[in-house]
Amino acid sequence: MSEIQFRNPGWAGNTGEFDLTEADVRGTDYVGETQLDGGHPSVSASLPYMLVEKNPEAPLFEGPYQERFEKIRSRYPTARAALLPALNLAQELRGHISPATMDEVAELLGLSNAYVRGVATFYTMYNKRPVGRFLIQVCTNISCNICGADEVLAAFLEHTGTEPGETSSDGNFTVVEAECLAACGFPTCVQINSRYFEDVSAADVPAVLERLKSES
Amino acid sequence: MAYPYRHEKETLVLSECFGDPSARTVAGWKRVGGYQGIARALEIGREATIEDVKASGLRGRGGAGFPTGLKWSFMPKNSSRPHYLLCNADESEPGTFKDREIMRWTPHQLIEGCLVGSYAIGASHCYIYLRGEFFETTQVMARALEEAYAEGLVGKDILGSGVDIDITLHVGAGAYICGEETGLMNSLEGRRGEPRIKPPFPAAVGAFGMPSTINNVETLCATAHIARHGGEWYRQWGTDKSPGTKLFCVSGHVNKPGNYEFPLGFPMMELIDDVCGGMRDGRALKAVIPGGSSVPIMSADDCRACSLCYEGVEAAGSMLGCASVIVMDETTDIVKQVRRMAHFYAHESCGQCTPCREGTTWATRILQRIEDGRGTEDDLDTLVQISEQMTGTTICVLSDSLAMPIISSIEKFREDYLALIRRGERVGAA
Repeated sequence: MSEIQFRNPGWAGNTGEFDLTEADVRGTDYVGETQLDGGHPSVSASLPYMLVEKNPEAPLFEGPYQERFEKIRSRYPTARAALLPALNLAQELRGHISPATMDEVAELLGLSNAYVRGVATFYTMYNKRPVGRFLIQVCTNISCNICGADEVLAAFLEHTGTEPGETSSDGNFTVVEAECLAACGFPTCVQINSRYFEDVSAADVPAVLERLKSES
Repeated sequence: MAYPYRHEKETLVLSECFGDPSARTVAGWKRVGGYQGIARALEIGREATIEDVKASGLRGRGGAGFPTGLKWSFMPKNSSRPHYLLCNADESEPGTFKDREIMRWTPHQLIEGCLVGSYAIGASHCYIYLRGEFFETTQVMARALEEAYAEGLVGKDILGSGVDIDITLHVGAGAYICGEETGLMNSLEGRRGEPRIKPPFPAAVGAFGMPSTINNVETLCATAHIARHGGEWYRQWGTDKSPGTKLFCVSGHVNKPGNYEFPLGFPMMELIDDVCGGMRDGRALKAVIPGGSSVPIMSADDCRACSLCYEGVEAAGSMLGCASVIVMDETTDIVKQVRRMAHFYAHESCGQCTPCREGTTWATRILQRIEDGRGTEDDLDTLVQISEQMTGTTICVLSDSLAMPIISSIEKFREDYLALIRRGERVGAA
């Protein structure tokens, strides 16, 4: 085994049966740098859209983002199908989807405002309100729950001094309860912005928060 | 090999490269025989490829277990309209975590499966619908797909065959119901992910109104191997009605949770006691949910003789689903966990059908009341009655999926409910 830099929580897999680094597990070395213009059109709709730095005033869309938006549109037979990717892109830039943003996206795609609001409010991942620099989503569904997810959620709330859905006074953290994140073998699973933190216990929470602060 | 634990008894087909980062590249995937499946499919032709998959007996791994070859054969043969293959990578059934492992360790396995499926059904475009939460997994898939395009494996004239197949990654935005096939199609088209009434079935009118087939990630990956080795090869594992190998996602109170690959028909108790290192802290087994949260709960007794194949789990009173085995020990509070599941279904109901929209919320409230020690014995009858009215009365099976755990838990763990109702005593803490 190589020396473990950051033991669980972080990523499952350092069970002693694999010789893996965190980059190996997350695939970050293989992925490399992501391009703002979306790279190849086949993957343009799939870049990270939960950035630490957000700009609620950012234009829809300019420069490389405009290129990415055009590439996305080229992959679907209808304009409507680009709606979810366009909302994802807007959230990446602005951090949340306000009613005004929904209207702007509607105009871009030639859809009615009411239609776009109906779609945007259907999906959980569109933040209807601004969130902190780190959105901490703690899975409390069955597999995590029977292994202590409620305590993990309580620990995140306690150590950030917030109520569910509320942003901490320093603007860093928003903690919410999430439904199953599909990492059930590594309870508790916590999604923080674009990363999964696996095997998190209540005792690990201060270390996770310290790590986030040191990265921001 | 299994991840994050290995076991010597495993049969490795899909999971051979789990935990091996070097298999993520085109070169790495080719090193273990990758892209030979699509090459052979192109050689033997569409019909023969479908026949191979039919002969393999492969059943859909997304939960329903419908024969894949048969599904492919429903697609129109001489149609000039565009056909679409949709890959369901919206993995969100509580307890299931196999597709994420497949995609993050072996992205090219899925790309090859999508090529085989697209070629067989005559689709020139395949959309992989990934759940929005899978940022990291999606990045790995994206890098792999760019690489596959650069190598001429995807796009125009794949492998010099004259066949064009495009693949596009499409990312969802957080809705369990988009894992339902017609809900997924609506979501892909930029609509609310509300399931559609069938018929028309997707093979006639699917995505964008065109003939479409939708397959799970694990199913498509299996077809890549079947295309390479032939249908009979796949039948060397499993049972007559459930051929092949399957990834079992084991979570909960075992010492070594994770994904393990075995032939279908593997004994459940051997999986728990031997492969997964037994129960945590040596405690006793209380209950198992064998196929993700949408199937009936099994008591410890039901598990003794249960073998993990479609017909085996059915004989034991539940369903294999996507083989997501949630193991619960004696400290588990069944009432709390059923309430948590009910909360999930109430949150995820799309709201189209009244029995589901109202029933899931009503059931959650009653279960919460019981959990808080304010329930009555009549509440149990009401729960069963609501659940019966939620079964078979809606467009999709989301409400049935809650009815099954409620009815089975009241049937098998009535004492847990009664302890709370009569004496205010919780059974278990977890």
